[in-house]
Amino acid sequence: MIDRILILSVFIVASCGLAYELIAGALSSYLLGDSVLQFSSIIGCYLFAMGVGAHLSKYVRDEDVLARFVDIELLVGLLGGLSATALFLTFSWLAAPFRTTLYALVFAIGVLVGMEIPLVMRALHARSAQFSELVAKVLTFDYLGALAVSLLFPLVLAPRLGLSRTGLLFGMLNVAVGLWTIRVFRKSLPRPGAQVLRGAAVFALLGGVFLVSDRLVTWAEKGLFGDEIVHAVSTPYQRLVITRWQDDLRLYINGNLQFSSRDEHRYHEALVHPALESAPWARSVLVLGGGDGLALREVLKYPNVESVTLVDLDAEMTRLFSTSAPLTALNHGSLADPRVTVINQDAAQWIEHSEQMFDAAIVDFPDPSSFALGKLYSVPFYRLLARRVAVNGYVVVQSTSPYFAPRAYWSIVATLAEAGFRTWPYHAYVPSFGEWGFVLASLQGPFSPPQHYRIPMRFLDAEVTRGMFAFAPDMPRPAVEANRLNNQSLVHYFEQDWHRVIR
Amino acid sequence: MDRRNFLLAAGVTGAAAASGAGFWRWLEFPTEIRSPGRQLGHLLRDRQANPPPRAHYRTDVLILGSGAAGLTAAWRLAKSGHSRFIVVGGPEPRGNLASGIAGEARYPTGAHYLPLPSRESTHIREMLEDLGIILDGAQAERPYYDERHVVHAPESRLLIDGVWHDGVLPASALPAAGSAEHQRFFSHVDELALARGSDGKRAFAMPIAASSADAQWRALDALSFAAWLEREGYRSAALRWYLDYTCRDDYGRGADQVSAYAGLHYFASRAGDARNAERGAVLTWPAGLGALADRLAQAAGLIRADRSDARPAPRLLDGTAVSLRQIRAGVEALCVTQGAGGLESYVVTARRAICAMPLHAAGRVVEAMQDFGFDPGEHLPAQAPWLVSNFVLSRFPAELPGATLAWDNIVLGSSSLGYVVSTHQDLRVGPPPRTVFTAYHALAEMSPGAAREWMTRASPAELLELASADLRTAYGWKLAACCERAEIALRGHGMAVPAPGYLSNRGLQALREADGRILFAHGDLSGYSVFEEAAWWGDRCARRISSA
Ligand SMILES: Cc1cc2nc3c(=O)[nH]c(=O)nc-3n(C[C@H](O)[C@H](O)[C@H](O)COP(=O)(O)OP(=O)(O)OC[C@H]3O[C@@H](n4cnc5c(N)ncnc54)[C@H](O)[C@@H]3O)c2cc1C
Repeated sequence: MIDRILILSVFIVASCGLAYELIAGALSSYLLGDSVLQFSSIIGCYLFAMGVGAHLSKYVRDEDVLARFVDIELLVGLLGGLSATALFLTFSWLAAPFRTTLYALVFAIGVLVGMEIPLVMRALHARSAQFSELVAKVLTFDYLGALAVSLLFPLVLAPRLGLSRTGLLFGMLNVAVGLWTIRVFRKSLPRPGAQVLRGAAVFALLGGVFLVSDRLVTWAEKGLFGDEIVHAVSTPYQRLVITRWQDDLRLYINGNLQFSSRDEHRYHEALVHPALESAPWARSVLVLGGGDGLALREVLKYPNVESVTLVDLDAEMTRLFSTSAPLTALNHGSLADPRVTVINQDAAQWIEHSEQMFDAAIVDFPDPSSFALGKLYSVPFYRLLARRVAVNGYVVVQSTSPYFAPRAYWSIVATLAEAGFRTWPYHAYVPSFGEWGFVLASLQGPFSPPQHYRIPMRFLDAEVTRGMFAFAPDMPRPAVEANRLNNQSLVHYFEQDWHRVIR
Repeated sequence: MDRRNFLLAAGVTGAAAASGAGFWRWLEFPTEIRSPGRQLGHLLRDRQANPPPRAHYRTDVLILGSGAAGLTAAWRLAKSGHSRFIVVGGPEPRGNLASGIAGEARYPTGAHYLPLPSRESTHIREMLEDLGIILDGAQAERPYYDERHVVHAPESRLLIDGVWHDGVLPASALPAAGSAEHQRFFSHVDELALARGSDGKRAFAMPIAASSADAQWRALDALSFAAWLEREGYRSAALRWYLDYTCRDDYGRGADQVSAYAGLHYFASRAGDARNAERGAVLTWPAGLGALADRLAQAAGLIRADRSDARPAPRLLDGTAVSLRQIRAGVEALCVTQGAGGLESYVVTARRAICAMPLHAAGRVVEAMQDFGFDPGEHLPAQAPWLVSNFVLSRFPAELPGATLAWDNIVLGSSSLGYVVSTHQDLRVGPPPRTVFTAYHALAEMSPGAAREWMTRASPAELLELASADLRTAYGWKLAACCERAEIALRGHGMAVPAPGYLSNRGLQALREADGRILFAHGDLSGYSVFEEAAWWGDRCARRISSA
């Protein structure tokens, strides 16, 4: 009977051990992308840690074997059980280095799991099972447990319970084994009472988290994404995540949607063509930001454009969008076009020192959500930009939503005006963003919305274009200040406006 | 425990201890202590025998000193068409406007900001326009500035019990009674800012020479700022700490050692407006006011001359004057400089000289100083010593959750003066390759003499401990993890202290009026130390010379 209980423990313990490994691997490839590397390095780390654990197990004295086994079960249950939840929370909400936390946890769990089987073997051996039979039995159940979990995990547990609750469930199983062992061997344990208390506490904790874990995970995933992650990298500047769901390819930067392949044509046609159609003489074009090469794709459609300079901070971004097949299919390989020069530099730094002149500039920066980004929408920045653009040339600025963030939008208009530009504000409906705003500006050039387009469009025609430059009565222009670096009112407007929308 | 277990345990403990020690070693960074101008300055004090002169320069105007006063004088001379002048840089080129560089990052080793000049500071407005910092309307009520140089948001924050608050004295951080007193104080100084004397001049103007001479206001110079606050019933601890902080920050001494007139002048004189910035905004650059020094030197055509180069001035000579005397045709200065083979000396003769060095130096250099009505023993203002410490960081240390680094970062209750961020004005989105945090500490807790003595005695570790106090409060060990090196500048004679009575210092008044062969220009002449005052005297000397 007793033997059978220990053998059953082996089965459970083994399945738990494998479960933690699978959870860590799945979670890290889910969050970090690059699944082959993630999986194999997690497994490597875990197996190595198990080896360390097995080695350490020899320092447990014979008379303590059972007591330590119980301790380890409780500890594994706690650490392993909470691992997925903790990693999720770390990733989404803490600045703590995720990778370090991940490998530290995997290593710790590995060490503990590595001690389990040797201790069980010693316990059984002490109870005089025959050694050859013992080894065979233990290992059989060890591998059986692994088989069970390897099938249950992807087919049932992960899809039904999710990673977080799967982890908690296995944690509770580990604790249950510990508690059961205490019950059966209470005579040979020095302090079973204290251990029961501890076990019960851990069990209750895991159970409690299990009950609220749904809410915890939704909370944690608020910044994360529902769809399959095709690629994810953390560059020195930002975190790029590309997801795919059916034919919809999406780019998220730091958790914010940048485009969806379903409707990005609307955004990019609206961004580029009103200006470039109106400047048939334009030969050189500047693109600031826009490392995805999509605005660039539109610019390159004009045969009169002889050279384009694209300045994007993030070399990893432009590398990704010039090498990954689904992405180059989307931007038509624009980043590799011979007319294009890509400069990976801080646009604000570059513009302060550049001496080149352009006929048009497309400014496609992330929204002004921080003081650093706000500098890219400031009077001095636009003054520097003005020095780089021909007096009758055009500048277009993506300017957040005039519907959701009206004060931010009109502050950008006011800022361009303060820097000496004449402005023509307009907007377009992009389903995945909502009503989106742009500002067309010129130092001296006249402008009227194009009546037709020389190149074929999917979204724009004369009618739609006319509508873009009209603002409906529910999008009135509020009285706002220009964005000065001294107070960065734009950043405050942006924050307050969007706060009201999202709440 | 058997032998093996013991060895294992010992091994584990040893490894842990070693890695702990390694961790602390990793947290150490090289610290360089600099005492700008001290060596050559002490040469003067100790009056060593000087080597015979190697060269002789002749010029029309000789400017001794290249701080704010000397550079402004040179700028004004050049602007009014003078080309025959020489600037002798002194033991510390650029004085308190000096700056350093780490990779691309520049940082101040002295002054770091300039408030928007008020209407009276016509000289500063003209200078800023000339240097391309005011773009339009230099003498208008509200000039238009190049916003790159106006301090960017967020300007300042205050650390209170482990939480950062926006602003230097946020109402949110004060108890209700304190915030009422705070409001009373600020409406009080707002009134004073508008007050005018019977002579039509503002009661508190910058430069101080443009302020009203009415006895009503000058009476405030008879008591200390702390005594005045007590008399007026300002008792809130937070407000008092803040006002003491402003005194230490601007005058290098606490409110109990500073004249009430000076304490109020700080608030009431700064009424600079701009069309495109808020009242009370300041101008700042990565190199601090070093940026103004660069621009002034360029505008003045100061090109470092080669010693053998006999072409005519304008130019800048390396060297320190050891004596300045009047001769029949004008003035003659003997200067020394550190050459490759030791000390070298040269002579400069000129028609007139502008003595733009600190008065404690002038007292030793200018022959017969008493004849100018200035007796160093009696009239020399006390000098507050300063520690300006630059921490070169390879990345920004992690902030507390939700906190955003500001330009000026202050710790409530600290005896240091917080730290400013040199890269704050950068137009960039990604982090810079390097940033520099500059921490200020006026050694106000000791008497100036004791503080100077302590500075020469203190070990680098003690200096670093004092210099990094606020940064350690803000970041703990994380600071060291980002820090490549630190550079501490000891400014033993940092600035003149406007102690009670400073407005009626007769010696200073006499030097201001000197208009013979030797003229005086230095911040010290105002009895307190800000860029505008130093520039004022430099400007005035140059105008006197060029209109003569
Ligand atoms: C730590 C610190 C921070 C400050 N911060 C600010 C600030 O933020 N804003 C502000 O407005 N003001 C600030 N001030 C005050 C301001 O910097 C000074 O008032 C101003 O720069 C003084 O300029 P100056 O030309 O009068 O004198 P100094 O800067 O003292 O220059 C004196 C010059 O004389 C030279 N010299 C000395 N002896 C001789 C000699 N024997 N022969 C020839 N030359 C000699 C020196 O080399 C030096 O070039 C600060 C001062 C200090 C100490």
